[in-house]
Amino acid sequence: MDPSEDTPPADRSMFRRTLVRVMIVQVVALALLWLLQARYGG
Amino acid sequence: MGTINWIIVLAYLTYVVVDGVRRSKGTKEIEGYFLANRSLPWWAVGLSVMATQLSAVTMIGTTGQGATDGIRFVQFYFGLPLAMVILGVTLVPFLHGAKVFTAYEYLERRFDPKTRSLTAFLFLVLRALSCGTILAAPAVVFSAMFHWSLPVSVAIIGIPTVIYTMVGGVQAVTWADVKQMVLIVGALVAVVVVLLVKMPVHPGAALHIAGATGRLKAFDFTFTLKEDYTFWSGILGGTFLMLSYFGTDQSQVQRYLTARSVNEARSSLLISAYWKIPLQALILLVGVLVFVFYQFEAPPLLFNPAQEAKVEAARGAEYTALQQRYADAFADREAAARALAAAVDPQAKATAEAAFQTREAEVGSIRTDALDMVTEVTGESSKDVNYIMPRFVLDQLPVGLSGLFIAAVMAAAMSSIAAELNSLSTVSVIDLYRRWIRPEASDHHFLTVSKIATAVWGFLACFVATYAARLGSLIEVVNLFGSFFYGSILGVFLLAMIKSARPVGAFFGLIAGMTAVGAVAHFAPEVTFLWYNVIGALVVVGVGMALSWMVPQRSARA
Repeated sequence: MDPSEDTPPADRSMFRRTLVRVMIVQVVALALLWLLQARYGG
Repeated sequence: MGTINWIIVLAYLTYVVVDGVRRSKGTKEIEGYFLANRSLPWWAVGLSVMATQLSAVTMIGTTGQGATDGIRFVQFYFGLPLAMVILGVTLVPFLHGAKVFTAYEYLERRFDPKTRSLTAFLFLVLRALSCGTILAAPAVVFSAMFHWSLPVSVAIIGIPTVIYTMVGGVQAVTWADVKQMVLIVGALVAVVVVLLVKMPVHPGAALHIAGATGRLKAFDFTFTLKEDYTFWSGILGGTFLMLSYFGTDQSQVQRYLTARSVNEARSSLLISAYWKIPLQALILLVGVLVFVFYQFEAPPLLFNPAQEAKVEAARGAEYTALQQRYADAFADREAAARALAAAVDPQAKATAEAAFQTREAEVGSIRTDALDMVTEVTGESSKDVNYIMPRFVLDQLPVGLSGLFIAAVMAAAMSSIAAELNSLSTVSVIDLYRRWIRPEASDHHFLTVSKIATAVWGFLACFVATYAARLGSLIEVVNLFGSFFYGSILGVFLLAMIKSARPVGAFFGLIAGMTAVGAVAHFAPEVTFLWYNVIGALVVVGVGMALSWMVPQRSARA
């Protein structure tokens, strides 16, 4: 069974867009934590 | 705790049970009971996934960890977003597309019945014990805080959970999870607001005080196998752990099998990818802010009132003297904290920071003496860290809000326990009872057996909770025991996605993976548990593929 055969192209494209958004949110979250450490971490 | 607070807690418990029973009306067959007929929206499934992972330990233990150790624990979750994305393109389409009830059912289709049965059996043992310990953690804390007996404490959380899970099935579990998640986040945000309002210094100064003690250090780039929480153990070990937990543990897999489509199942997991790190950082920051708050408000020497009473009874004079030293050290530290908050230029700040660190070390040393006294008197580890947040909530939060927070702790416990009971019932009925004992029985029969199984697992969890709490260290043993198997089970699912992998490779690869992890734990105990998942998964895939290549050649010769 190849799951990619059951996934329509629109779904795959939506997933890719969501993936990019997830990664952006993670980078922002890690950057904020880094900022907190750099500014107040001593 | 006050009548209004108890009314809030009671109202919450009643609502969860009544709503769960109401949800049972649409559950007439086994697919509805276990998978909600694969009809749930992605956002509800996603919140259920998060609620299942967020237990009462997170609400009381992790906030306490934030207060004593800072936010470095957040690194544990650094691999989670990546794991969710990997699962979204690998296991989720396989499992959802296969229209199975359990992850282990898929393994029989791909490999053989014995691989399915072994993984299902491991899941049942691990989850039954872990369900008991998840229930035990808040029950022990409530027992000490409210002077309830432990069985009563276990029953107050356990019985409503068993009722709504048994009657309502996965529909009740998921929709209760959604509301419980809202309650948990709402309570955490409310606590942050109260902390900021009651803090006598501005937020920037509060962060400077926390930072001076190293509590805002979120990143540790040291590469070592001996430290639990570093950037690398989070990214590498954490990714494998999260892949194992979200990809192969039925308590999580069952959440997204209820989604309407593969795409909705993927999207539900991405909610955790979006929010887990920010939420975990918030939970730890709550603890850090509680630490700063207690720079200006005298904290108890021991946060656990039950243990404090025992120490006072056994060594009253010695404890009173220690309390006096603590009060003096606190006064000095408070003055140092205020000086640090008021310092403006860098030179004054550095001097004030050094003075504050000295005072903080003195306070810490006296608390260590008190904790040692607890160990000597009671003969058990104090675990005082788990009582910091409950004590703060009961002593410092306004009426109504403390009731809301206690209800949120119960919600966190119940959401995790309910999902685990539901999945334990599913695996025992689908992978064992229907597979080996009564394959031809009617749907109505399986539905009845499923409800009975949920009740049996629920009462077993209550029993384990009472027993585990008395043993204390069993909780750590169970967590360690779990990490022996997680990576190896993930390895079997990774093999399932490799076309040339054979059943013999999967079964013996699994055994080899568990053996390898056991050997590492025995001969190299300094290696921390996060790496067990990497070792287990890689050994299973390596041994599994080697056997898969060897066995067909032998068969061909024969």
